[in-house]
Amino acid sequence: MKFRLIFPKWRKLEGQTTFNLPPHGAIVFAATIPDYVEVEFIDENLEEIRYDDDVDFVGISMLLTTQVKRGWAIADEYRKRGKKVIFGGISTMLHAEETMEHADSVFLGEAEGHMSQIFEDFRKGELKKVYNHMNDLPPIEIVGPARRDLYNRDLYYHKGVQMLDLFHASRGCRYSCYPCAVSYLGGRNFRPRPIDKVVEELDTIDNNRLFVVDNSLAQDTQWEKDLFKAMIPFKKKWCSHTIEDKPEVLDLAAQAGAWYVYQAVFDTSDYIKNRVKQYHDYGIGVEGTILLGLDNQTEDDIKRLIDFLLEINLDLAEFTILAPFPHTKAWTDLKKQNRIFNPDWDDYNAGQVVYHPKHMSAERLQELYQYAWDTFYKDETQEEKMFKLLKKIVSRELEDGTFKKRRKDLSKTSFGKNVKHKIA
Amino acid sequence: MKMSTDVNLYQDQLYDFKGLWDVPSICGLKIERKENKIIIIVTDLFEENPGTSITEWNTKLAKELCDKFEINYESLVFIEHTPNKETKLSFNRESFFQVKFDIINDKFDNPQWIEMTKEEVDKLITE
Repeated sequence: MKFRLIFPKWRKLEGQTTFNLPPHGAIVFAATIPDYVEVEFIDENLEEIRYDDDVDFVGISMLLTTQVKRGWAIADEYRKRGKKVIFGGISTMLHAEETMEHADSVFLGEAEGHMSQIFEDFRKGELKKVYNHMNDLPPIEIVGPARRDLYNRDLYYHKGVQMLDLFHASRGCRYSCYPCAVSYLGGRNFRPRPIDKVVEELDTIDNNRLFVVDNSLAQDTQWEKDLFKAMIPFKKKWCSHTIEDKPEVLDLAAQAGAWYVYQAVFDTSDYIKNRVKQYHDYGIGVEGTILLGLDNQTEDDIKRLIDFLLEINLDLAEFTILAPFPHTKAWTDLKKQNRIFNPDWDDYNAGQVVYHPKHMSAERLQELYQYAWDTFYKDETQEEKMFKLLKKIVSRELEDGTFKKRRKDLSKTSFGKNVKHKIA
Repeated sequence: MKMSTDVNLYQDQLYDFKGLWDVPSICGLKIERKENKIIIIVTDLFEENPGTSITEWNTKLAKELCDKFEINYESLVFIEHTPNKETKLSFNRESFFQVKFDIINDKFDNPQWIEMTKEEVDKLITE
């Protein structure tokens, strides 16, 4: 049986450096598909979909809200041709009812332990409209290594430099942050993978550089320390979301190859300033993530915040506009205050204002978002700052003998497309 | 989770319900029967609720509560209560919204939220 698994494309934010990282959720899902199924993976951001190819069954894996309309359009094309389409993934769960209108089947929950039944149902022509497993998340121990063999690897290079591989060491989150839907998606319990399973998966990854995509590693100190200890021998370099700032954790993280971490910057406090310094003291870079448009932010607050970012020596900063994703508190709050004016999911990309902010007009917030990017990267562009961060890691890789030279055969391509060289 | 200490003024019991996609969910509940109206206050329990929020499920929840506690739809005053989470964020402060529904063929639909002050809610339940 030929199963084509598609990751739909989406409109990238203007003016920002675009890096296409290999999608993670789709290949984690693919690892749960029975062996007798021949799986082909298409990342539509980098490859065209050939609708008339010979396939038996189509899966659409959706991560982002801004991807859903494209996912639905792809499904419509296949269904016109008589192919059955099943949807899964984070934004399928966030938009399940709408997605059902474009699907033969919708899978809700985590895939481990359920795919044999679904493929059997497909073979018998008895596919169910909904497979609802929101309520019975699988034991974390059965989560196995992702199917990285499905990637068309050469597409994930920029001028010969390989992009990071994505990897997860846990699921769920015990926090319930204002703009985040993770508690709805993955349960409100932190579910760390057993360290031996993490090690087993790390062993399969032929890439020195990783993005550990867990929502937050800072949820269980002992497990976090055990994780970092187990990662040390692999000599990989990695970025991640928040890690704890306890000295013993930071020390192990640095030994395990922590390259840079994301740190939410929500105010101009000494707490943030000291935290950034602490990371830097251990040789760990910091990318600030700054959410604009919260109800406690005035125009002056946003400007002060941007000035503050320049003072605390962040290595990178990423600005986003609050996007009220379904099933978040942000969404319910704004909905009941009747403040959401744009219902077009394509625009829920965290770069576009879709609601009326409390202290300014939507237009002004949009301008401040642009001002934030322009001001932070005024003296040094995003690419230049990224290059500086890359240089740090290259020197560490050279020290421990893990540096891989850029691939010459791909030095004139970027994500599968030829790079146009500027002629002076 | 830290919530304001006077949360129990608006909560006499915990109420379990099946939320979106049958996920087990929980909220605080107070039912105040007055002469010509019955006030239902449902309280958001944030992290203590493993499932669907009261706001997302209000049409189903309001109907379920009316049916279970034999409340005439016409006498219903349905209030969503979000307790103070005691964070630094001003929008995590306590709030009350009365929710009005269109009720057609025994189905609650089209929720419309009207913000209320704490004083207005107190007056409503004590008068």
